[in-house]
Amino acid sequence: MFFEIIKLAFDSLRTNKLRTFLSMLGIIIGVGAVIAIVSIGSGAREQITSRISSLGSNIINILPGTSRGWGGRVSRSSTDIFTLELADYLEQVCPSVKRVLPLSQGSGLLINGELNVQATLNGVNTYYPEVNNYNLAQGQFINEEDLENNRNVIVLGSQVAENLFGNTNALGEKIKLNFQNRDHLFTVIGVMEEKGAGLMGNLNNQAYIPITTFMKKLSNSRFVTYYIAQASSSGEASSAVSEIEFFLTKYLKDEEKEKFNIMSQDEILETVNSVTASLSLMLGGIAAISLLVGGIGIMNIMLVSVTERTREIGIRKALGAKNKNIMSQFLVEALSLSGMGGLVGILLGWLGAYTIAQVGKWPLVITPVSVLLAFGFALIIGLFFGLYPAMKAARMDPVEALRYE
Amino acid sequence: MLEIKKIKKIYQLGKVKVEALKGVSFGIEKGDFVAIMGPSGSGKSTLMHIIGCLDKPTEGNFFLDGKDVSKLNDDKLAEIRNKSIGFVFQQFNLLSRASLLHNVETPLIYAGVKVKKRRELAKSALDSVGLGDRLKHRPNEISGGERQRTAIARALVNNPLIILADEPTGNLDTKTGEEIMRIFNRLNQEGHTIIMVTHEPDIARHARRIIRLRDGLIERDEKI
Repeated sequence: MFFEIIKLAFDSLRTNKLRTFLSMLGIIIGVGAVIAIVSIGSGAREQITSRISSLGSNIINILPGTSRGWGGRVSRSSTDIFTLELADYLEQVCPSVKRVLPLSQGSGLLINGELNVQATLNGVNTYYPEVNNYNLAQGQFINEEDLENNRNVIVLGSQVAENLFGNTNALGEKIKLNFQNRDHLFTVIGVMEEKGAGLMGNLNNQAYIPITTFMKKLSNSRFVTYYIAQASSSGEASSAVSEIEFFLTKYLKDEEKEKFNIMSQDEILETVNSVTASLSLMLGGIAAISLLVGGIGIMNIMLVSVTERTREIGIRKALGAKNKNIMSQFLVEALSLSGMGGLVGILLGWLGAYTIAQVGKWPLVITPVSVLLAFGFALIIGLFFGLYPAMKAARMDPVEALRYE
Repeated sequence: MLEIKKIKKIYQLGKVKVEALKGVSFGIEKGDFVAIMGPSGSGKSTLMHIIGCLDKPTEGNFFLDGKDVSKLNDDKLAEIRNKSIGFVFQQFNLLSRASLLHNVETPLIYAGVKVKKRRELAKSALDSVGLGDRLKHRPNEISGGERQRTAIARALVNNPLIILADEPTGNLDTKTGEEIMRIFNRLNQEGHTIIMVTHEPDIARHARRIIRLRDGLIERDEKI
């Protein structure tokens, strides 16, 4: 009997192929979208996570804080707190901190003859490549002597070097740097390797000079923009965060913690994870709504089908079909619709996820859970929205049904 | 074998009560061939629905093979329709998308008969009405007479107590109608009990007994 009912359902779906396909479409799109979106979400998250980790897993950014504007005070960023001495002090007093790297940042125009490029200029010390896990492609980085003598030497990001010099050798060349409408002459001593976009913007579009040169010749300020602290190991990152917080609060007499803002790798990962998770959830929710709409489509078509086949129902009842036989016939039909829609949807979702993963260059992540969930949800929707039309069919009065034209 | 006692059927149409059957009683013996006649509105369709267990009487009792079936629930009635009654309708009422074989098999599917046995029974039923070579055809590929013969095969396949025919020749020309009636006569000779609703005297003449209805009551009940 069970086999007969399944065969019956497929026979009936086969007779009206276009209608069957159209009523499946909602489910196909819904399931496909759920699978694709969940997969794209996890793929993108995996990529972002691995990118952040590649920046160095024990990195802690210490940024200027933002004071709240209240009672007539304008909200502003605290720019005049981070000195070189404070960096040295933190490095000495915090036991879990290996290094505190001061950074001065600004935007400058780099000029080589006819070519010029706008780049982010970083004043850094000699430990910058080590802390950021970011190496040279050619030449050398800024050394202690450059720092002591405030030398006009510059290391270029890969994109900057290519824009200014193309494929020709940049090492030893002199370029002009226009910073706040003043020109300075710098000698290129190194070019950095190519690296993906990070949290601090596109690293390839940056240039590095000695921090002493930056402070004394360019900005004329004794304050730097921010610090990058490196914990002794990734396991000690969280204790490093509390130590830095403790000493900075004490040193700056900043009880309200307004003057600085500590961002650790863990926190950033957490933020990214929660953002991508809620994004996936939202998009998944939208996809689930389309599944729901698909279910309503199935109900609609099943209701039409029940009405159209009133006479058939009457005949079957006259021949001895019980209410439950009629009910299961139409229910199996609705389930077949949503089940087949679900299968095609899985295929479509996989294809979509695969294509986008190729374009986005991230790993294809399709979890069995998301596939089972989407398919199961499709079946439940088929069951739920098939129930009413099936009940309507089962409850028909045989005399009325046989009379139906 | 079939006993109808003071059957009444009242329909509620909006606020108006319509009494389709006003107390009808009669019995039918095994092996009889009875025609139920009457003008439209006489209640013959209602009576047929009750005998066919498609509908329940408002009052009275209906004994089939000694068992009162007038108070049974839907599922029990479906079982009786399946096992004890074979329908032949004016409109043939075949499943248009199914082959003749599948059409004749359908009652056996609901009876839970196994595939192999089912095929066999359906084939021999179609053979007996001369359609053994049309098993794979669909109803729209054959003539009206052949459709009605398929319906007769379907009615026979469960070896029912009663074959219930509702205007079986109403959609056929005279010649084909005669052919169908010859099949009914043959089946009756073979021992099948047949109850047939018709308004055509020529067709009713094939029966052995004619019950005439008028305004929900038996007007005349005569043996031929």
